[in-house]
Amino acid sequence: MADINLISVNKTYPPDVKAVEDVNLHIKDGEFMILLGPSGCGKSTTLRMIAGLESITSGDLYLGDKRINDVDPRDRNLAIVFQNYALYPHMTVRANLSFGLRLRRQPRATIEKRVGEVAEMLGIRDLLNRKPAALSGGQRQRVALGRALVRDPVAFLLDEPLSNLDAKLRAGMRTELIKLHQQLGRTIVHVTHDQVEAMTMGQRICIMKDGRIVQVGPPLEVYRNPVNTFVAGFLASPPMNLLQARLEPDGPGGLAAVHDGLRIAIPSAYMQAYAAFAGKPVILGIRPEDMYDEPVMGGVPFEARIVTVEALGPETILVAGIDGGSELSARLGRGFAARPGSPQRLYVDPWQVQLFDPETTLAIPRPQI
Amino acid sequence: MATAARIDPIGRNDRRFGWALTAPGLTALVLVVAGPLLWTLYISTVSYTLVHPGYDFAGLDNYRGAFAEDYFGDSLWVTVKFVVAVVIIEFLIGFTVALMLNSVTRFKDVYYLILLMPLLINPVVVAQIWRMFLHPELGIVNYVIGLVGVPKINWLGDARIAFWTVVLVDIWHQVSFMIILLLAGLSALPREPFEAARMDGATTLQAFLHVTLPLMRPVIVVTLLIRLIFAVKTFDLVFIMTRGGPGTATDLISYFIYRSAFYGLDIGQASAISVILLVVVLALTAYLYRYMRSLA
Repeated sequence: MADINLISVNKTYPPDVKAVEDVNLHIKDGEFMILLGPSGCGKSTTLRMIAGLESITSGDLYLGDKRINDVDPRDRNLAIVFQNYALYPHMTVRANLSFGLRLRRQPRATIEKRVGEVAEMLGIRDLLNRKPAALSGGQRQRVALGRALVRDPVAFLLDEPLSNLDAKLRAGMRTELIKLHQQLGRTIVHVTHDQVEAMTMGQRICIMKDGRIVQVGPPLEVYRNPVNTFVAGFLASPPMNLLQARLEPDGPGGLAAVHDGLRIAIPSAYMQAYAAFAGKPVILGIRPEDMYDEPVMGGVPFEARIVTVEALGPETILVAGIDGGSELSARLGRGFAARPGSPQRLYVDPWQVQLFDPETTLAIPRPQI
Repeated sequence: MATAARIDPIGRNDRRFGWALTAPGLTALVLVVAGPLLWTLYISTVSYTLVHPGYDFAGLDNYRGAFAEDYFGDSLWVTVKFVVAVVIIEFLIGFTVALMLNSVTRFKDVYYLILLMPLLINPVVVAQIWRMFLHPELGIVNYVIGLVGVPKINWLGDARIAFWTVVLVDIWHQVSFMIILLLAGLSALPREPFEAARMDGATTLQAFLHVTLPLMRPVIVVTLLIRLIFAVKTFDLVFIMTRGGPGTATDLISYFIYRSAFYGLDIGQASAISVILLVVVLALTAYLYRYMRSLA
């Protein structure tokens, strides 16, 4: 069993720097778990604690049923892929791949076979006699991955392995890692700050901020129901638009979220959930993809002025200004074209809009429709 | 380059100015180093003794005479033994200490300073101090070992021991040279291959053998070569402590040259041996230079 359990794990650097605070996370056996967050949020430190490269100040770390806080990294049977690959510069690719097995005095034939298999799997067969200095970034990354694969560990720990690759290579490696996971079925813990990686690769995402876990869940779940404004603003690009608004009465027994000229009537199904905030300030969250340039059923129209139009090819990102000075990002179809400065009527889907409590930044819970 | 100078008058002025600034220093260097060097080369081919000063050309007689000397072979052998002993022992001690210092976090500067101090002392002073310490009757070393019941040792007067005494004093003096260079090399090593090695299952010893040593190879080679070159030229310790004795136990080549010139009074032959020593040192230096170039 290779599930990894972190129970109230803390990491404090003297004198009082809390890098990781009260982390509780259960990574299931065979799961592809993503640790996502901005720089300095503690995700790499958490990964290194799992690996054993950092000591755990307090709390428990379990691998299966075994408490491994005090187990040397050598004996944990985990493999880590570093952001900078950490290849042995003086050894050939073959020697890099076989190092772990050679240390354990595996028979030569076994080592050759295993190295050959992994090299084949990752497409680095031709590079076996080269040294790291003679490899490109992408090739080095695959050797680093290969080194982890050869060891056949119970779980893989990846520390931002794709960060140093260019966009195209990154996209390719993302797919390869997903396929690898499907092939091997081993637990993978993947640290990244890139939310595209998180959304596409993870079976579950664990979002961290300032050393604490903010939300854990499957990517779409976290995306659809962010627990607070931080998560809402972090996932997806462009992120959710967040506006200061007020919940005002709207017709008999109705409510509307109002931000200057923008007035969105709350669907009656949500009325009860938001009742407690009637008359109070709220944070109004509108996703760029929930805005349209054509009338949609139930869409709430509002007037805006175009600031910029980014034609990406398959879609267009529009930044529009509304009364009161705020700007919204909208994700529109590839056919959309307009000149900056011209007025534009946009439509919002009120069912997708989310409200957050301005004091706690938490999302106001509402029923799932 | 000439083309560049024609097109770039400012560059040429810069170079001229550079030459002008360095000219005095360069002249001094030429006078003090190159001059005597060339003179020695000349004298080595001439029959010149302090008893019969003269400039009769003698070709390679001085060189042949040097090799024919009984004690020249002995001196070479003692020098080789000394250099090998000193470099190897200093390397082993130096590397061990450097490894220990590398993992120290507190008071590193204090240890560093204490270990560095012997190196800063003038070699003549080092030799004088130790000569006094090692005096068989009045020296503190024999006093201290006497306290634990060990009989007095004739450190510098016993032909079997004197060589090792000189080796030990040289180690005391110069080991921090190794420590500094090796420590600098160790602290410049990247951290991540070591973490990778730990994850791969390497013990501390395995990481040392498979990662530290290979990555330290350039630093180790350069350090050994530099120390070797200086060890060949050791003079002060012998001159002050043993005068090459007892017998020829500590007759290092540099002292042998000195003896030939000022006791044997044969400047011509001493010059010849100096030239031989110069060639050896030059060869080592050239090798060091080429090795360092190949690293870049």
